[in-house]
Amino acid sequence: MNRRPLTVVLIVPTGVGASIGGFAGDALPVARAIAQVSDTLITHPNVLNGAQLYWPIPNALYVEGYGLDKFAQGCWGLQPVHQNRIGLILDGGIEPDLQLRHLQAVDAARATLGLNITDYVLTDVPLNVELRMSESGASWGTIAHPDSLLRAAEKLITQAKVEAIAVVARFPDDAGSIALANYRHGKGVDPLAGAEAAISHLIVKTFKIPCAHAPALLPLPLDPHLSPRSAAEEIGYTFLPCVLAGLSKAPQFVTLGTQERDTDKNRKHTQLPITADRVDAVVIPATACGGSAILSLSGRSAVQIIAVADNKTQMQVPPEKLGIKALQVNSYLEAIGVLVALRTGITPVALGADISPLRCLSDSTKQISNLKS
Amino acid sequence: MTTHFISAEVHLHDTAEELHSAIEIELQKHGEPLRWAVTDVDVDRQKAVVEGYVLLESALEPSQAIA
Repeated sequence: MNRRPLTVVLIVPTGVGASIGGFAGDALPVARAIAQVSDTLITHPNVLNGAQLYWPIPNALYVEGYGLDKFAQGCWGLQPVHQNRIGLILDGGIEPDLQLRHLQAVDAARATLGLNITDYVLTDVPLNVELRMSESGASWGTIAHPDSLLRAAEKLITQAKVEAIAVVARFPDDAGSIALANYRHGKGVDPLAGAEAAISHLIVKTFKIPCAHAPALLPLPLDPHLSPRSAAEEIGYTFLPCVLAGLSKAPQFVTLGTQERDTDKNRKHTQLPITADRVDAVVIPATACGGSAILSLSGRSAVQIIAVADNKTQMQVPPEKLGIKALQVNSYLEAIGVLVALRTGITPVALGADISPLRCLSDSTKQISNLKS
Repeated sequence: MTTHFISAEVHLHDTAEELHSAIEIELQKHGEPLRWAVTDVDVDRQKAVVEGYVLLESALEPSQAIA
């Protein structure tokens, strides 16, 4: 049967306290379920990264947030790959023992998973990441030396010819903080996430290459009340395995300027890249509809935006406040039902008890009522 | 080169796409936008509150932007 493949974008914004997906890769079950009813799932590291834990989803594309924004804008396409050659950037501020832990995690991924990770670079100065919380309640942070990060990335790209970059920056250990205690107990906002996004966005924007980040932190004291949603980050020494697994098959970005696109197509690819006009649906927490990707995709009339009320966030931006037409559902279970209906060609309204009367846009109602009288 | 956090207010537009463009234009006054989101909407004042990061080539401190 010839039918249009169902392409779904799943977004759980990073660092906004999402009750599902705001912790240690805890939206991964949602991604796995949505992938089952989609032909292609496009999602991002915050959804798929569970530190030591990850799950290979054959039809999911691991797209860093800046790349996802550019994809949604229609500026970049996504070119699936068999495997990327990955390079690693280690923050020069990481202590030698902790550096070694990360290099051993890379070796494990090479030997046990067969990933192609060839080279690493230590930044020439410590990146000095600092963490903050915004007025809205989102986490953010600054990098004191982004130029050092970019020099390291350039070295990997030009000298080692890597096709994707994993970054490990030393993040502040904040063992006594209330924010961290809340996070470990499955509440509040991930205090690291906003700064992590800034690091990967910077590399993707500059080099148009897949990138993802894992923080380097010292192990925390054992907590008997650790939330299951945060537990994936406390079962090993690094957060790196999920990043390496994701990057190994992350799609390459194709710039959609016509000349570059044609050159790129002729030179490297036999298959056209996936572009924003392929997107059929976007699934998003109902209070977090103010991101760049949603604003871009909401302008495409063919895209069904599905806003999930159950997934609470610190944001206060439901779709109606921005004039975005969305189908509001209570849960991801309901969202998956909507996707199944879309895929089958059934309007979701037909599955409810109430079906509204047919609207008439002309004088025909008058004519019909005249006929009846 | 430095990264900076910006908070700004942008007037709501008729469509989400127009709002997207207005936000990028506003943030570009303070640097190259890296990541942003509308975090709140004041419907009465027709304003969107935007938080985001910009990249600055120089290390000068940007002002907190309210536009």
